[in-house]
Amino acid sequence: MGLKGITLRLALVLAAGLIGTTAQADQLADIKARGTLICGTLTNIEPLGYQDAQTRQIVGFDVDTCAAVARQLGVKLEHKGIALEQRIPELALGRVDLVAAALGYTKERAEQIAFTSAHYQVPIRVMVKTAAGINSFKDLEGKRVSAVTGATTELYAKRGLPNTQVVSFQTGPAAFLAFMQDKTDGFSTSHTAGLGFLRETNGQGKFINDSLAWEPTALGVKKGEAALLAAVNGALQAIEASGELDAMWNKWYGPASKFPFPREKKLTPIEAFMN
Amino acid sequence: MLDILRDYGLQLLIGQYPAGPLGGLALTLVLSVSVLVLAFPLAVVVGVARGSRRPAIAAAAALYANAIRGLPLLLVVFWSYYALPLLVGASFSAERVMVSALVIYESAYLGEIVRAGIAALPAGQAEAAHSLGLGRWATLRKVLLPQALYNMIPSFLSQFIVVLKNTSVAYVIGVNEVTNQAYQINSQLLSRPFEVFAILAAIYFALAKLLSLGAARLDRRIAG
Amino acid sequence: MAGSLLAAPDHRALLSGGLWLTGLLFVMSWLLAVLLACGIAGLRGSRFAVLRAVAGVVVDYHRNVPGVVQIFVWYFGISALLPSGMQRWINRHDGELLLAWIALALYAAAYISEDLRSGFRAIAPGQGEAAAALGLTPWQTALKVLLPQAVRAALPALVNQTLALFKATTLALTIGVVDLLGAAVQIENQTFRTFEVFGIVSVAYLAGSWVIMAGGYWLNRRFAVVTAR
Repeated sequence: MGLKGITLRLALVLAAGLIGTTAQADQLADIKARGTLICGTLTNIEPLGYQDAQTRQIVGFDVDTCAAVARQLGVKLEHKGIALEQRIPELALGRVDLVAAALGYTKERAEQIAFTSAHYQVPIRVMVKTAAGINSFKDLEGKRVSAVTGATTELYAKRGLPNTQVVSFQTGPAAFLAFMQDKTDGFSTSHTAGLGFLRETNGQGKFINDSLAWEPTALGVKKGEAALLAAVNGALQAIEASGELDAMWNKWYGPASKFPFPREKKLTPIEAFMN
Repeated sequence: MLDILRDYGLQLLIGQYPAGPLGGLALTLVLSVSVLVLAFPLAVVVGVARGSRRPAIAAAAALYANAIRGLPLLLVVFWSYYALPLLVGASFSAERVMVSALVIYESAYLGEIVRAGIAALPAGQAEAAHSLGLGRWATLRKVLLPQALYNMIPSFLSQFIVVLKNTSVAYVIGVNEVTNQAYQINSQLLSRPFEVFAILAAIYFALAKLLSLGAARLDRRIAG
Repeated sequence: MAGSLLAAPDHRALLSGGLWLTGLLFVMSWLLAVLLACGIAGLRGSRFAVLRAVAGVVVDYHRNVPGVVQIFVWYFGISALLPSGMQRWINRHDGELLLAWIALALYAAAYISEDLRSGFRAIAPGQGEAAAALGLTPWQTALKVLLPQAVRAALPALVNQTLALFKATTLALTIGVVDLLGAAVQIENQTFRTFEVFGIVSVAYLAGSWVIMAGGYWLNRRFAVVTAR
C-alpha cells in the first residue's frame, strides 16, 4: 500500500467517524440484522445475468448463485444490477454485499476486494468472423479487437495481443456489436459470457482455438470482512457438496441448455491462484 | 420498428416496474424533476451570492460557478460516484449519485440565470424598497427575488430540458433510465441498432420539443 | 502523490495520448461545426420553403436529443446503414474518432447556427441595402458586411457553445475513444487510484475551459458592440 493508499484509508476512517453509526463493524452481522443480502450481478450478459424479455426480470446463473448464497445465510436476496466496470467500486464502497458477475481473479483486484473460492474456471477467448480467415492470435496482428473497459478480457487482450489494437467499450454488448458490425476484427470475451454472443452471430462467428488465459472466476466481497468472506465460502461449499451448484450450472450451461459448456473444476480455494 | 415498440415499449417506459425497480422514461423524468427541485435553492444561493456586495462572497460564488462550468458533466458524475459515498455513507445508490452530480452541475448554470434575473430588474425597484424602509435582505426576499424568479420561469423550463438530456449520461454508472434501457434492448436485438436508437432519439425529441413549446408559450405570457 | 502516478511510463503515455485526442477532437469538431453552422444558418434564410424546413428539422433534432444518444445513433445506427465497403473504410480509419467527430460537429453546429441567426437578426435593417447601394454583390454583402457583425453580436453565445463543445468531447469515450477522460478511466480501472487520476484530468479540463472562458472575455472586450442607447 503506497502513501496514497494510506491517505485514502485515512480519509475513509475520518469519513466513517463523521457519519458514526453508519460505519459497520461487521458486514455479516449487518446483513443478518437487515435480513437481506444485497448481491450485484450484470444485467446484459446471457446467461450470467440478463433481462428476461417476458417478465422483465434479471435472471441467469449469477442471479441463481446470489439466491443460493442468500438462502444458505438464511436471509432474503436483494438483487442489484451493476455495470461491469462498477464491480470493484460497488464492493469497495460497500454498496453491495456480494458481487457475482463474471468476476475473474487478478492480483490487482485482490488488493481492492476479497475473492471467495473460485466456483468455476473459464478460458478467455477471442471471437472472430468465420469468413475472415483468422485462425490464430498471430493472424490478429495489425488488426483490431474489441473488449470491455475494466474487464479482465481487456487486460488479457492487451497482454496477449501486443501487436493488436484493443478498442474498449462500456459494455459487453457494445463491444460485441462493434465486432459484429466489422468495426473490429475480433471480440475478446470469457468463454462463458461469449457463448450467448456466439449464438447471436448465427454461424458467422467462432472462437479462435486458443485461450488468452484461463481465468478462475469467483464471487467478491468487501476487503476486511473476514466473517462475511468465511460465511460466503461456507455457503459455496455447502451448495457444492449438495450438488446444487452443479445443478445450477447445468440449468444454464448443461448439455441440454442453449450454451453447453462443462464445469470441469470444482470449487477451488482462491489461495491456489495467488502467486 | 413497430415490433420493437410492441416487445420492448413497456421496458422503455417503466423498466422492470412493478416487478422490479422503476426505470426507463419514468425514471428519466423522476431524475430530472428531482434535480430541478433540489438544485433550485442551491441556485438561488449561488445567484444571490454572485451579486453580493461583499467581495469575498461574490468571489467564492464566482469560483464555484466557474469551476463547475469548467468541468465536463461526465467528470462531475465520476467524482460524485466515487467521492460521495465516502462522505455520506454507503447506502448512496447510483440514482442518488446521478441526482447529486446533476444538482451540483446545474446549480452553477441555474445560478447564472438567477443572477441575470436579479440584475435585469430595474434599479428603481431596489431603491423604492429601500425608501420604504425595507432592509437589504427584506428587499431581496420580498421584492427582488419574487419578481426575478417569476420572470425566470421560462429560463428554468428550458434548463429543465437541458437537465432531461443530461440524465442520459447516467447509464455510465448503471442507472436504468431510458438510454440505458435502449442500450440493453440493443444488446438483446443486436442486429437492429439503428431502429433502437432512432426510437430512443424520437422519445427524447418528442419530450424536449413539447417542453420547449411550453416554455415558449409561458415566455410570451410572462413577457406580454 | 499525483507525481507517482505520472511517473509510470504507461500512464504517462495513456494520458498524453488522451490529451492529444481530446485536443484533436475539439479543434476538428469546432472547425467543422462552424462551417456547417454557416451552411445551416444560410439555408434557414433561404428563399425556398423546403430548404428552410429541412434546416429547421436538422437544428431541432440536434438541439432536442442528448449528445450521447446522437453519438450512439451515428456510431451504431447510421454507420450500420452504410454500404459495407464504406463501413470497412471507416473502421480501418479510427471509426470511433471519425464518427464521434461527425456527431459532435453536427451537435455543436445546430446550436451555433441558431446563435448566428440571432446575430444576423441583431443587425440594423438597412445595412444590406446600404451595402447594395455601394455596389456590393449579395455574396459580398453577406460575407463582408453582415457576417462580421453577426459574429460580433453572437460572440458571448459562441464562446459558450465552444466551451460546451470542449466539454462534450468527453462523450466520445462512450464509443471507445480513449480521450483524456477515457485514459483516466482506463488508468483508474488498472490501478484503482481513483482520486489521483481524476484529480489530474480535472485540473487539465479546468485549465482548458478557463482558457476558453478567458479568451471569450478578452474577445468580448476587444470587439464589444457599442450600442447607442
